Amino acid sequence: MLNRGWRHEGQEPDYRFSLANERTFLAWIRTALALLAGGVALDQFATRLGPHWVLVAIAIGLAALSAVLCGGAYLRWRSNEIAMRHARALSGTFVIPLLSIAALLAAAVIGVLLLVR
Amino acid sequence: MSPVGDAARPPQALHVRDPGLQPERTALAWNRTGLSFVANALLALRAGNVNERWWVTGLGIMLLFGAAASLGLGLMRRAQLGRGTGPAAPPTWMLGATVLAAFVACVTAIAAIVHDA
Repeated sequence: MLNRGWRHEGQEPDYRFSLANERTFLAWIRTALALLAGGVALDQFATRLGPHWVLVAIAIGLAALSAVLCGGAYLRWRSNEIAMRHARALSGTFVIPLLSIAALLAAAVIGVLLLVR
Repeated sequence: MSPVGDAARPPQALHVRDPGLQPERTALAWNRTGLSFVANALLALRAGNVNERWWVTGLGIMLLFGAAASLGLGLMRRAQLGRGTGPAAPPTWMLGATVLAAFVACVTAIAAIVHDA
């Protein structure tokens, strides 16, 4: 299991691209952890902000999105590495606009709750 | 086309490695990831303390270890890359362990939020 097939196929990419890919993976993990921290902080500290179930829903949503990003981070790293080994273009991802929408929605809901408090 | 079983020939990318900036940036990326783990660890420790949930406090402690491990992995990667030989991509277990730690944090957070809702 340690010597996965794809690591021996294609050509070794420019090492700088491999390292950039690794740092991109870590950036996704940090994004996931930031979303998680945001969700947990909402649940923990926003005690006087509107109906509690709204905050719980946002918190769970953010935590779930975070979990998805964790798995996606590895899959994306792997897919990028394989694409580089075979000199193919890197695929785009729908997750980035999804992330923007999710963050925007969360911020909008919290903004509304702050306004009607 | 695909050089399977061709481990004896060093990849051409190795001949153009720069003296140390890329490994340093990669190690720093691991450090930043470790800091993200610390932030989540502090939230978990606080939540576990205030709500008296031993398993949430336990998660917080685990995340602190995870943060230390992330720093350690950064040092390991820097040493690996500094040698200038071998593939540039990190071993899968490093990425898998990072994903697992973050994923466990997400799942535990969802459980704690639902439990206390």
